[in-house]
Amino acid sequence: MASPGEHLRIDVRSGSDRVVLGLHGELDLLGAPLLQEAIDRANGEASAIMVLDLQDLQFVDSAGLRVILAAHERSRENGQELALTPGTEQVQRLFTIAGVNDHLRIIGSPDELFV
Amino acid sequence: MSQPPEGEQTNVDAHSVGDVAASVLIDAGAVLASSLDPSTTMGQVASLTLPRLADLCVIDLRDEDGSIREVAVACVRPELAQELEELRVEHPLDPDGGHPVAQVLRSGQPVLLPEMTSALLSSFAQGSKHAAFMIDHGYRSAVVAPLLARERTLGALSVLRLGGGTPYGQEDLRLVCELARRAALAIDNARLYSEVRRVEQRLEAILVNLAEAITVVDEHGQTVFANQAAADLLCVADPEELTSSPPGSIMPRFLVLDEQGRQLDLEHMPGRQLFAGETPGPLLVRNFVRATGEERWLIVRSSPIADPESGRVVYAVNVFENITEVKRVQLAESFMAQASRVLASSLDYAETLQRIARLAVPQIADWCAVELVNEKDEIERVAVHHPDPAKLELAERLNRDYRPSLDESAGVPEVIRTGEARIYTDIPADALAQYARDNQHLELLSAIGATAVIIVPMIGAAGPIGAITLVSAESMRRLSPGDLALAERLGRRAGTAVENARLYTERSRIAQTLQQALLPESLPEIPDLEVLARYCAAGELNEVGGDFYDVFDYGSDRWMLVIGDVCGKGPRAAGVTALARHTLRAAAMSGQSPPEMLETLHRALRRQPPGTDLCTVCLVAVQHAGSATHLTLALAGHPPPLLIDRDGQARLIGRPGTLLGVLDPIEICETEVQLADGETLLLYTDGVTDAGRPNVELGETGLIELCRQAPLLDLDSLLEYVEDVALGHAKLGLRDDLALLALRASHPARSQR
Repeated sequence: MASPGEHLRIDVRSGSDRVVLGLHGELDLLGAPLLQEAIDRANGEASAIMVLDLQDLQFVDSAGLRVILAAHERSRENGQELALTPGTEQVQRLFTIAGVNDHLRIIGSPDELFV
Repeated sequence: MSQPPEGEQTNVDAHSVGDVAASVLIDAGAVLASSLDPSTTMGQVASLTLPRLADLCVIDLRDEDGSIREVAVACVRPELAQELEELRVEHPLDPDGGHPVAQVLRSGQPVLLPEMTSALLSSFAQGSKHAAFMIDHGYRSAVVAPLLARERTLGALSVLRLGGGTPYGQEDLRLVCELARRAALAIDNARLYSEVRRVEQRLEAILVNLAEAITVVDEHGQTVFANQAAADLLCVADPEELTSSPPGSIMPRFLVLDEQGRQLDLEHMPGRQLFAGETPGPLLVRNFVRATGEERWLIVRSSPIADPESGRVVYAVNVFENITEVKRVQLAESFMAQASRVLASSLDYAETLQRIARLAVPQIADWCAVELVNEKDEIERVAVHHPDPAKLELAERLNRDYRPSLDESAGVPEVIRTGEARIYTDIPADALAQYARDNQHLELLSAIGATAVIIVPMIGAAGPIGAITLVSAESMRRLSPGDLALAERLGRRAGTAVENARLYTERSRIAQTLQQALLPESLPEIPDLEVLARYCAAGELNEVGGDFYDVFDYGSDRWMLVIGDVCGKGPRAAGVTALARHTLRAAAMSGQSPPEMLETLHRALRRQPPGTDLCTVCLVAVQHAGSATHLTLALAGHPPPLLIDRDGQARLIGRPGTLLGVLDPIEICETEVQLADGETLLLYTDGVTDAGRPNVELGETGLIELCRQAPLLDLDSLLEYVEDVALGHAKLGLRDDLALLALRASHPARSQR
């Protein structure tokens, strides 16, 4: 059995107006707690914008989606912005099936400026 | 009719005429028998009249449009023949004119012109040039005889004397008529032959290119025709090898059994029965290639070709249809269905596995053994079967004295450690010697007489828990990749059964009971439709919750199919699952449409205590509309279901809608489709398509591919097959639940051979 963290790696970098969480690998039941933890920590830095960079994310399941949507809810409550870059084909397919694209802010690259 | 009676030549004068007649007819016999090409033959016939019978000989044929065409001309003066040919092209003979050839063609009667005067020649000439040609070259005497065959005048044979030769008489007339008759016969035969040949060539082109194997066998058992497909089926290089093999020399290369396993010989084949005067129906045979052990299932059909005159059967046309693939799927499904029943019958897994071993022999192997890893990490034999008790004793001794330990590098220990199945299609003596621990071990192993071995892991929730070994020995049966796939399914199913039996006594008993409370105990019956579900909870990571499904009747011939996935585990997820099921039922009863029902559930979830309760749902409302079944579909974040047509073509249906419980507002669309007779609707959760990740997941495309088998399988087998393949992808245990819910209209188009 795979141990947690084996499939998901997250690197964090801070820009002028944002914190960017780069997700690599697979965001599933095992990876979800890691992302939750990373988001909680990044929120501590109180940037106005959080970007989840999914360009290197190979897979996401409903457990992973749940963490992303929870972060989306919380950012709305706190008046922050949460944005995502599009993931691989599988990731995009899941977002489409889940019907969440219209609710999320999708940007072309992690450093794209937006209001 | 001008058929001169035979044998009359001798009674009149001419020693010389008799001689000429005999020599001309003998030569003609040789020429006419030598070739079937009419133009060559006619040239030769014309030439052989020179100079014995004629100075000039012309053969004309009547074409289909009635025109007269010169096909051969021979002359003692070759330049004259050339000139005549050109003249005839320039001035063709008028079929309605007075030329003797035209007359003969019209009347069918021969003409004898002993003496031709210039006036006579001019009277039938085709213009002045023709007349001058005849007069200048001294046309003197002529005989024109019809080419008669089957009472039709095909043309005319003309012989002429030029200059001062002896005029023709009655004897010459008879001889020319006889020669003409024989030539006509040859032309007629050649025409018939080329017609038959054309038909044959067309037929042969069809047969050669047919994918079905076809042979034609004569009454002596000799193959006189075979196509390449037949050569391939009968394991020879090309059709010539079949047509040149002596009768009965091919059949011994195969072991041929009927459906019940009784051996059949040549006399049982439909082709043979035709010659015995019987009218055999199609015969289903199980055919083993002795050289390789390969197994095929064939349907053999034979039709007679009778002699048109005597009505006796002279040829048998055999058509072989290879249905191995269909039969393999059928047998595999029937075996798996039996195995599943056995596995589900008891929680005493030692007894169950012994019954599985008995089931496997002889259906798929000559030997079957089952090994499990016990709590001390030892490999323990729990079942073994072979029909012969003496042989069974060998296996007992092997197990007692040479029990494998888990750290060994090959065989059962390797399969249990890696979880990877192994197939050995060949067991060389030196490999066996290398594997044996000592001489006695080698002796015992050799006595088993294995010719091929398959070892498959039994997979439990946390990985391999044992292995099943299938051995082919005295039957020499070849074990194929198909057998391996079947054995792997058996291994997974047996693994699940053992695991379930073990889990039953452990902590997850509570979880399972709770889970079952969240799923319907049984599905309602829907007239003219078959509805079935399958559910498989994930392994140790799972406590409770996740996937759910439901089918209920909500009045006036309306039914609702529900499948969904609650994200989250444990008691909270179980609560959400229960909420979802009951909210949807209540919403349907109150007359809401599927999108409204989903909206209702969404609001109910939003009213729950804080926490992100993600829920995806697919709803299908089912309503009979005449002979068709009308489906109304709504998706909320759930993977789109598959509609599988009677040919096994599957397509995704429905439009994506927002998942429930988190985002506002949600957007849900309705999709309407008809379910035609024999079509199948398959609902599933992402546990099915994601199974096997991150290595080889099944995916949507993999699932669509699996659906191709749908027309061959009844609904239960189809769901079992999909579940087996998904479990097969999830070699090291399921990470997510998987649920399948399927609806099929009326009678599936099952392949019943």
